[in-house]
Amino acid sequence: MTARNLDPDIAVQAGEAADDAGAGRRAARRSRTLSLASFAVMLLAWTALTGSGLWPPVVESIFLPSPLAVWQAFVKLWNIGYQGRSLAHHILISLMRFGIAFVFCIVVGVPVGLMMGMSASVRALLDPPIETTRPIPKLALLPLFIIWFGIGELAKTIVIITALFPLMSISAMQAVRSVSLRKIQAAESLGASRWTIFRRVVLPASLPGIFTGIRVSVGIGVTMLVGAEMVATSDGIAWMALSAADFIQTDIVLVGVLIMAAMGYSLDRICRVIEARLVHWSGKD
Amino acid sequence: MSIAPIELDRPERKAAAKLVFDGVSKRFGRGPDAVLAVARADAYVGEGEFLCIVGPSGCGKSTLLNIVAGFERPTAGEVRLDGRTVERPGAERGVVFQQGALFSWMTVLENVAFGPRARGQAAGAARDLAMTYLEMVGLAGFARRYPYELSGGMQQRVGIARALANDPAVLLMDEPFAALDQQTRELLQEEIKRIWRRTGKTVLWITHSIEEALFLATHLVVMTARPGRLKAAYAVGFDADADRNVTTSAAFTEAKREIVGLLRAESIEAQRQEGVGR
Ligand SMILES: Nc1ncnc2c1ncn2[C@@H]1O[C@H](COP(=O)(O)OP(=O)(O)O)[C@@H](O)[C@H]1O
Ligand SMILES: [Mg+2]
Repeated sequence: MTARNLDPDIAVQAGEAADDAGAGRRAARRSRTLSLASFAVMLLAWTALTGSGLWPPVVESIFLPSPLAVWQAFVKLWNIGYQGRSLAHHILISLMRFGIAFVFCIVVGVPVGLMMGMSASVRALLDPPIETTRPIPKLALLPLFIIWFGIGELAKTIVIITALFPLMSISAMQAVRSVSLRKIQAAESLGASRWTIFRRVVLPASLPGIFTGIRVSVGIGVTMLVGAEMVATSDGIAWMALSAADFIQTDIVLVGVLIMAAMGYSLDRICRVIEARLVHWSGKD
Repeated sequence: MSIAPIELDRPERKAAAKLVFDGVSKRFGRGPDAVLAVARADAYVGEGEFLCIVGPSGCGKSTLLNIVAGFERPTAGEVRLDGRTVERPGAERGVVFQQGALFSWMTVLENVAFGPRARGQAAGAARDLAMTYLEMVGLAGFARRYPYELSGGMQQRVGIARALANDPAVLLMDEPFAALDQQTRELLQEEIKRIWRRTGKTVLWITHSIEEALFLATHLVVMTARPGRLKAAYAVGFDADADRNVTTSAAFTEAKREIVGLLRAESIEAQRQEGVGR
């Protein structure tokens, strides 16, 4: 206890922490206000351009329907579905295609990357196939996968996997390789075994890097989903938008686009929330 | 209350010592680009002694400590602890780094309990032990905090508690206070002296601060510019308990002047090498 009173750091510490928290909250509130304002401006511009029944539209509704028309299209789709299937079905089937590929890559791709990071032999073995296939645009492989795996779900899932797998495994590998040598040495000289060092030092230290790979994968995965639903499909939210475009049903196209945007956004938010809980120390090292 | 020159290559003292450097050399790389970081270092540290190594930056101090820690292998010679040759890192040699070695994803308590846990103690016992050492460094109230919530000085206390929790035979400290401000550093120096007296640990302490070395050490070694050789050694005895202002005493100033003189020559030599090297 005497030592506590001696150390000027300790007294200062608590006050500083409180100040930091207050400043952080204010900054967060300010950026939230700015984001909302930016949304409002976009919505206003959209309303103005389309007239929205208040004045003649600047842009024909066939190119850009008004926000209200898009909302009505959404309500209609929700109530009666699209092309014989409910809107929920289209959303869920798309989420499933993305989700299976995404989870597979987390469960298999991340551990493969961790092993590549830990062992030079595994790296030597797996680096060539991953590196040589990296420049191929993965969507271009879809016709090939359809020949190999048929027009069912498998080909679509696999094409998304081919895009996400290298992303997640390489970011996991790099995360492992950039763990501070000093922390590993500290663990070694505290008597930790190789396995303990992996489990309690390397793995947690790599989590921020692994999450970066996962978050990038969300964006790329949703984009790949659109591509995968372009051919040999009769359901899915991207397919709905694409096929509505054939009939110039612009309102339905926009509903599809907005739903995909919402999907991408909420998946990213979910990842961020999980990340914030799991890697609270990220960037504070 | 002064310093007295000693001889560090005495076979009979070496035979009885706790930690022995026996002709240790370390060369990094091969061919024309090779760097000889340490050249034939001979020294010993007795049980319970506090040996400080001072030397110009880049002279091989960290390399020497890393060899004792088992992070590096010497290219010639060997280091022995309690008669056993050091070959790899081990829990009987506790290391405190300058900074950045705490586990940010663990609480302060988990950090300190890491060693006992890794060596097979039950979670409850390891936690109790960790708490004892956190009390020793005055951080019992911060057990549930994370390292990034603490100041630099407090983080170093955690590092010290973490190394002590394994009850190592020797403590290896590589400029542990170099990144701290003057005020915090002086407080921690007093505290490390108290902890050293209380635990009776054998300490190998690296610093570029002569004052720190004179204040802490029972023995002091001055290293030459690269390749690092051990240039001079002293037995040191400044009793800070008897006189809180010992660092301003005439004897202290005199001792400091002697070491500064030795080091100045070395620093000039080190800078000259830098110029030639680049
Ligand atoms: N891993 C390494 N590879 C090559 N050179 C190194 C390595 N580690 C240290 N050195 C060189 O060895 C010399 C001594 O370094 P170091 O022991 O860190 O010095 P000090 O701790 O005294 O400042 C320096 O010239 C440094 O550049
Ligand atoms: Mg150093």
